Amino acid sequence: MTTSAPNTAVSYPSPSVVAQPTIRATAVSKHYGNTHALNGIDLEVLSGEILGLVGHNGAGKSTLMRVLAGRERADAGTVRFRDLPGGHAWTGPSAEAAGVRMVHQELALCSDLTVTENAWLSDRRKSGGFGWRRRAERRIVDVLDAVFPGHGIAVIKRAGDLPMAQRQMVEIARALCTETLRLLILDEPTESLGVDTAGQLYAHLRTLTQRGVSVLLISHRMHEVIAHSDRIAVMKDGRVVSVTDAQVTEDELLVAMGGEVRPDAATLDRVVSAEAAGASGDSASRSGTLVAAVANSGGTQFEARSGEIIGLAGLAGQGQEELLQKLWAAGTFSRGTQVSRHRAYVPGDRQTSGILPLWSVAENLTIAASRVISRFGIVSTRRKRELADHWVSALKVLGGAHAPITALSGGNQQKVLIARAFAADAKLVLLDDPFRGVDVATKNELYALMKAEAALGRSIVWYSTENKEMAHCDRVYVFRAGRVVSELRGFTITEERIIADSFDDRTGEIR
Amino acid sequence: MTTTLPDTTSQTVRRRQAGRSRLVWPAWGWSFIGMIGVWLCIITVSSGSPIEPLNQALTLAPYLVLVALGQMLVITLGPGNIDVSVGAIISMTAYVSVAVSFSMGPVAGIAAAIAAGIAAASCSVIAILLLRVPPIIATLATSLIVASATLLLAGANRSGAAPALRDFVNAKVAGIPVIAIVVGLVTVAVAFALRRTTFGLAVIATGQSFKAAGKAGIRVPFVTAVVYLLSGTFAGLAGGLLAAFISPSTVLGTSYMLDSIAVVVVGGTLIAGGRPVPFGLWTGATFFVLLSGLLNLVGWSVGAQNILKGVLVVLVVVISSAATRTGRSSLRRLLEGRRTQTPTTKEKIHG
Repeated sequence: MTTSAPNTAVSYPSPSVVAQPTIRATAVSKHYGNTHALNGIDLEVLSGEILGLVGHNGAGKSTLMRVLAGRERADAGTVRFRDLPGGHAWTGPSAEAAGVRMVHQELALCSDLTVTENAWLSDRRKSGGFGWRRRAERRIVDVLDAVFPGHGIAVIKRAGDLPMAQRQMVEIARALCTETLRLLILDEPTESLGVDTAGQLYAHLRTLTQRGVSVLLISHRMHEVIAHSDRIAVMKDGRVVSVTDAQVTEDELLVAMGGEVRPDAATLDRVVSAEAAGASGDSASRSGTLVAAVANSGGTQFEARSGEIIGLAGLAGQGQEELLQKLWAAGTFSRGTQVSRHRAYVPGDRQTSGILPLWSVAENLTIAASRVISRFGIVSTRRKRELADHWVSALKVLGGAHAPITALSGGNQQKVLIARAFAADAKLVLLDDPFRGVDVATKNELYALMKAEAALGRSIVWYSTENKEMAHCDRVYVFRAGRVVSELRGFTITEERIIADSFDDRTGEIR
Repeated sequence: MTTTLPDTTSQTVRRRQAGRSRLVWPAWGWSFIGMIGVWLCIITVSSGSPIEPLNQALTLAPYLVLVALGQMLVITLGPGNIDVSVGAIISMTAYVSVAVSFSMGPVAGIAAAIAAGIAAASCSVIAILLLRVPPIIATLATSLIVASATLLLAGANRSGAAPALRDFVNAKVAGIPVIAIVVGLVTVAVAFALRRTTFGLAVIATGQSFKAAGKAGIRVPFVTAVVYLLSGTFAGLAGGLLAAFISPSTVLGTSYMLDSIAVVVVGGTLIAGGRPVPFGLWTGATFFVLLSGLLNLVGWSVGAQNILKGVLVVLVVVISSAATRTGRSSLRRLLEGRRTQTPTTKEKIHG
């Protein structure tokens, strides 16, 4: 990574430019169902500055970005752009007209269109019926050459054929094609870029800010944010908890986000490992039989034993889902993965990969349990009914066994899906962030159920984006950049420690 | 994500719970009404015995039901799944059956027809599962391959169907064709398999959502392969029997391709998958056979009949499949049209 020294020297634009805010959010709130994504945000991005925005999973960064870009309306509060009158509704088209561009974390290129066509889509200038392709091509090539010299991207290729890093460059470049660019919102722009290209990007952002363009930079890479931002806003639980200048240290930012400072964590680590070595039986985790193991190249080996609840933590999309997928789809041909044959999966995305919408609760609950309720492929109606009734009453599923699954609330549907996994009598149960949008009471019931089932000798592997939930686990693997960077046990599993480890560049950096 | 349930679901619950105490309107109800309606029309138009048209329908319908059983299983697999190769398979297996039974006896002939059907279907399975071709294209390609095989067989064929088989397909017990009883038993077996076996439940689950079925531990590719092979089996069997009932020709199966789909849909099976109605195949097939009889009686051409069939299928899909996966009728969705475009992307809440 580029060091901070050369950049801070040249970075600050003249004070006269800084004075005016480009966009100002006042008391912005936004909620989805029961989840409050934003709780009264006050934030302004000054013209000609780079404002860094940091925070852990669920802090509300992405929601705030979407609100600022006009993609979503805030439930309360106002967003004001510099010249627009106050009563003006801040919508997608008006944001676009005002020169706001957003570069998505999940890349938003149409994979079947060429780079040129993608560039034209986001920047449809008035032009004659002919020649638009040529003009769009010249624009995107010019920008790519200017920002990423030596990028090596063939603009006539389909976007889907490009490697990840090049797609990210195209995504950034097409946002820069806009003539009237006033505010550029970047969500994790350097996550898939190499060191050199990231450096090129930050250098170009500086030339943009000198022209008065504002940049909102969201990144999990603390040192980059510190090195390249003029001010840094820290978000936590849907609020901006602090706005500082860029003279902070990484540790100060971590503390502001709710993490803990690293030396402390290291001490804890030592204490625990000493304790683990001292305990002769080596605690419950070693006593169970090995249910699953994944060899991790260079990193910590992943292991799951019977009777354990294992958490997969870290920032979203750092390889936790890939691990679950590996464990779920493992067959005879997958190398390095060793896993029990009897396993069950609880998807987090209820609507598209969870429920079977035409069936009743009972049918949804028992579909995975063929081992329990059938002989020679023929299902016993009696055993099926008993199994369904047992779980419906055990989990108090509202509506009963015969209600259609779609008539249930999200929380109750999730209960059914979890019951399905346990009813299937699986040795290994995989949970893919299943408690999104589930109310607290239901969550507590389900945590208790998971503990009870683990005590019966099952092994539960649980990916969650909510760090608080990890307190229910026996062991937690923290992921960064597709690898396990640390393994926490017992009382070292704290939210602070997980946050600290998931931002730990020193262990997680792969380049 | 937020799960805001549409208002209609609470009504659906009430309706379904009310249905538990009273009689539920069966999915094949509409085709049954249609069947009775056409039958009454025939009685008023013609002057024969009122039972005669039904009897005639029972001799023709079993073949259609047999083919439609396979088609129903395929359609139940979910959106995009359809087998357009059944017609070509029937034509081919009719020749196979005749040729083999000439030298090795009628039982071997039927077995060979079934084997040929399975062989043809395995082409589709390979294309769908290994080459990831959409089922409609894959089965279309199969039907082209099969059609050329049919031409080769037709050139070599010099024989007619075995007399024993001919007797079998024309035999009657107590006035009911034996073939209708046999296919009836097959239908019951399929219905049982769908309700009470793990494989049947896997087929239905796959049809409702193949993603969810996969996460529930169902081997979706395996289920898909078996279902297409079953469709080939049923088409092969139908071809072998039709060789004796009519006689082999290169266009023997042509009408069965569209008719089987029409029968499945009219019988109440959900075109979007996940809800098979085996009994509806009988009401649907009888309805179509009777309708052809009626239209012949009043002098419609085959082309005009096909137009009517096509219109009927579209109407049935729009109107009578009241319970779609969202719990709202297709008709209402059609009327509401573009106003309520349901968002397909789901918003994740994090960051």
